Amino acid sequence: MSARSALGRLLALGPLRLAALAAALALAAAANAVVGYVVIDGRLDGEWYDLRDLGFAVARLRAELDAVAPPALSYWVTALVGVGGILGFLGLVLLLGSWVERRLLARFQIRRGPNRVGPFGLLQPLADALKLMQKEVLVPRGADRLLYAVPPIAVFIPAVLAWGPVPWAPNMTYLDINVGVLYVIAVSSLAVLALFMAGWASNNHYALLGAMRTVAMMVSYEIPVSLALLSVVLVTGTLQLSEIVLWQEQHRLWLGLLLPVAFLTFFFSSTAEINRTPNDIAEAESEIVAGYHTEYSGMKAGLFIAIELGNAVVLGALVATMFLGGWSLFGLETWIPPYLVLAAKTGAVYFVLVWLRGTLPRFRLDQLMGFAWKYLIPISIANVGVVAVEAAILVRLDAPGIVPLSAFTLLNIALAVACARFAMPEPSGGPSAGRGASHAPVLTTVLGGLRASERLRSAP
Amino acid sequence: MIPEQYGRAGVLLLFAILFPALPLVLSHLLYRLRIRPDRPDPVKSAAYECGVEAEGSSWGRFNARYYLFAIGFVIFDVEVIFLYPWAAAHAELALDSLAVLWKAALFIGVLAFGLAYAWRRRALEWR
Repeated sequence: MSARSALGRLLALGPLRLAALAAALALAAAANAVVGYVVIDGRLDGEWYDLRDLGFAVARLRAELDAVAPPALSYWVTALVGVGGILGFLGLVLLLGSWVERRLLARFQIRRGPNRVGPFGLLQPLADALKLMQKEVLVPRGADRLLYAVPPIAVFIPAVLAWGPVPWAPNMTYLDINVGVLYVIAVSSLAVLALFMAGWASNNHYALLGAMRTVAMMVSYEIPVSLALLSVVLVTGTLQLSEIVLWQEQHRLWLGLLLPVAFLTFFFSSTAEINRTPNDIAEAESEIVAGYHTEYSGMKAGLFIAIELGNAVVLGALVATMFLGGWSLFGLETWIPPYLVLAAKTGAVYFVLVWLRGTLPRFRLDQLMGFAWKYLIPISIANVGVVAVEAAILVRLDAPGIVPLSAFTLLNIALAVACARFAMPEPSGGPSAGRGASHAPVLTTVLGGLRASERLRSAP
Repeated sequence: MIPEQYGRAGVLLLFAILFPALPLVLSHLLYRLRIRPDRPDPVKSAAYECGVEAEGSSWGRFNARYYLFAIGFVIFDVEVIFLYPWAAAHAELALDSLAVLWKAALFIGVLAFGLAYAWRRRALEWR
């Protein structure tokens, strides 16, 4: 099977459409090369029409406005431009993302997914939104009406605010504060409030159960998240997200490689923070209907569903920024606009999240809590100790950075493998859990779903 | 420079509230235009508990095990937040003298001891 047809099947596109897609990509690449040539020539660097970094254009705008008006105007205008950019991207993601997710999940399950509304089913999310808006909104009889109304809006606050300090390019950070990491932790923990408010105000046993579980789980996984980011701060010596990306760019090393334990801990714990499979026990539909948003209907339920996607994408952006080099791509960012690099990395992390959702079953609540407190927190604490020693050696050792850094990278990867292979606890209980039964997920090297679909197709 | 940046967080917060409010307002507009129905009745607006009538209010007592984890979270999270200033300054301090490692180890040791104690007292079991 050629790579081309494999790609075509993964995207469920015919050869003609695939060719059109390839042509469009080639055209974009060619345009980029032309722009890159001009840039390398040095004519574009730092000017306002340098599209690789929209920060230049905003800086020019600010200077022009400051020349004719009081500084308050330029402040508000640039702030609104930034907010418009963030919300525009978020809106696009919310519309496109639900199509992407359903389409990918369908491919994982050898289905086709939504393909009726519009070309390739692209208008499906729009149709869904329109449908949800027309639905009757029911308020349960015993509900606390004020508290019931707030959560659908309040759940958006952390997901939007967390976009603030994410650097899109060297000069393209909306909220370039020097306590960025703390800000992200503080803002993301706000989500607990909204979800508990939703579960409590509904006056429904299932909703309350879901909310209690959510709070217990999010609160527990908050600690590994903070500890993982602590080791990032230890190495880079800054809490500013743009500086963290700059560190990775200067050292030509992604922190995800240097700190694999922190990376994996952060990634897994964050899936609990945003209630995604395999950690979506808060809305285990086989046990507690839909958890905290059982009683929500119409557009309010739609907002809860939409923000799950928004959370996944902002998690992708944070993982990309902290651990995967952010906008930097080993020098290629002078050719490709850095914000596209960040978007691509975000999309890659999001793909992994969808992949996990399509592959893994849901953990039980006691397994999840045990995993956080008895495994992730101890190894995170140990990891902080190891990284602190390494950071001290790094500043005191009189050697070029590449020697200690590569040594530490290898050491930390070995430690991460050891943690995963030898220290991982067996999931307790379960119907067929005996000693010796293997619970470890098996990583297959072939595209199992594609092979299976081929067999189905070739069968008489 | 920095206070100005925090003001922008406020602007973002304002729009973070307006952004999800927009579809809700549109939905209400559809109701005003008599496209969206709004006809509540006692059965529809009963709590949805899989068709079984709800037994009383859910605002009652619930299992105390949640409190243990909540308290554990408060202790650990506050300690971790205190570690951040150290982490940011660690490289500079280590350049002066390695004593910072021992001091940090003491603080993290308290954290680890707390965890071990809670584990030993079986506070981490989900019963």
